[in-house]
Amino acid sequence: MNTLAVTRLEWRRLLVRPLAWVLAALTLAWLAWNFTLLLGGFLAGQIQRGALPDGPGFTDLVGVPLLGQLAQLAFLVVPLLTMSVIAGERRDGTLPILFAAGVPASSIVLGKYLAVLGWLLLWLALTLAMPLSLAHATNFDWGKLSAATLGLALMLATLAAVGVACSTFASHPAIAAAVALVIALALWSVNLGAQMAGVNGGAINWLAMSSHLQPLLRGLVSTADVSWFILLILLALALATRRLTADKERG
Amino acid sequence: MTSPTDVSPAPILQLDQLNRRRAGRPAVQNLSLTLQRGQVLGLLGVNGAGKSTTLSMIAGALRPDSGSIQLNGADFLEQPELARRLIGWLPERAPVWAELTVSEHLDAHGRLRGLSGTALRHARTAIIERLELQPLARRLAGVLSQGQRQRLGLACALLHQPALLVLDEPANALDPVQVAALRTLIREQAASGTAVILSTHLLTEVTAVCDSVAILHEGSLRHEGPVHSDDHAALERTFFEIAMHGNTPSARAA
Repeated sequence: MNTLAVTRLEWRRLLVRPLAWVLAALTLAWLAWNFTLLLGGFLAGQIQRGALPDGPGFTDLVGVPLLGQLAQLAFLVVPLLTMSVIAGERRDGTLPILFAAGVPASSIVLGKYLAVLGWLLLWLALTLAMPLSLAHATNFDWGKLSAATLGLALMLATLAAVGVACSTFASHPAIAAAVALVIALALWSVNLGAQMAGVNGGAINWLAMSSHLQPLLRGLVSTADVSWFILLILLALALATRRLTADKERG
Repeated sequence: MTSPTDVSPAPILQLDQLNRRRAGRPAVQNLSLTLQRGQVLGLLGVNGAGKSTTLSMIAGALRPDSGSIQLNGADFLEQPELARRLIGWLPERAPVWAELTVSEHLDAHGRLRGLSGTALRHARTAIIERLELQPLARRLAGVLSQGQRQRLGLACALLHQPALLVLDEPANALDPVQVAALRTLIREQAASGTAVILSTHLLTEVTAVCDSVAILHEGSLRHEGPVHSDDHAALERTFFEIAMHGNTPSARAA
């Protein structure tokens, strides 16, 4: 009940905040433009690919690359969307109102997280609607598209949890956004050096988000990859809750 | 939602040896107070005396370092969810969610306090009418004047008919007409059994609406007693003695 009340409050605030609309409009316009480019490329190469028995299809050349572009945008969009969720409340002096309503720190964190996640999943759904609008005219690899969508959803959920945690620790929304961006980029590229040296296993590769997202984008769903995302989400939300509880103690 | 007229033998609020440090110094020290249903207690003190810290702890927004808070006979620190239905709080400067309209604000506060559906709609309509917020109902909270914010904050505090009303500088930024309306509202609430604790710098505010007064200085209680509306001068003497010398003449003599 508490969590739901916080989610509704945060969702309402997201919907009336210009930043969320501007981000949605700009990114969807960018993705739509890229969708037409990918579609153009797909149509132009159709005859050559017809000669290949197992050539890449619409999902490989349009659907998944479009989701890949969304993943790139997410590194910027998610920190901007999450930066104010707690840091903004702290700056505006409204956080004590939630404490005084008897809402536990865990419900505040979870409620806000769910609202942001709802917005991000809607964003993902609107992006997916572009390739899906051609479902009647082309052959989809539904399994691959579902796996890629799951991967994107998990990635967005993870970045949102990291963003909420950063917002909980930061004193100002801009700092929260900057730190969330740095952490997200670090999570993505922590194994870059190892990859360049030809190392494909070990802890450093396990730590990297790219190691767990790329198999999903290729259509391979494994418990280990899904668990990595869930673990990180739980860790980030637990840290955020701990910090918010300490906030109430400290005042 | 709890009716303020619920019969319970326990005082609505009992503070016992409350302590809290802020920014490395004691903000509240060994504070003990009792508040009965229908009582209006004025909390007086100069800036930095510990009034807002005390009220934040009573409202459940801040945890004390030590001591206990009994709310309606129950341990408030063990059951912070009691605040949800029993306490209405107007924080200092009445912070708002700038993106929400006045009406949406009331809905959000109502949901956070456990109201929903018809009960929430009725409560919202009633409080909007009572505080004459109709012209502001669709306006964004972020564009309200400070006086209008105070009224919105007061509406949010009263929405769920709390048994204890905690008001931090409620007359801030209100014009004289609004101050008179606020006094009437506080008296109405007290008459219906709601206990009210309010902090203020204004001695006239205390003599106008309070049954009793507690004067804080450097975080500790220096004077507590009943208030007589015709004895403004005595209260003023006591307040200035404490503000200037840290204690009343009788306490210094002792």
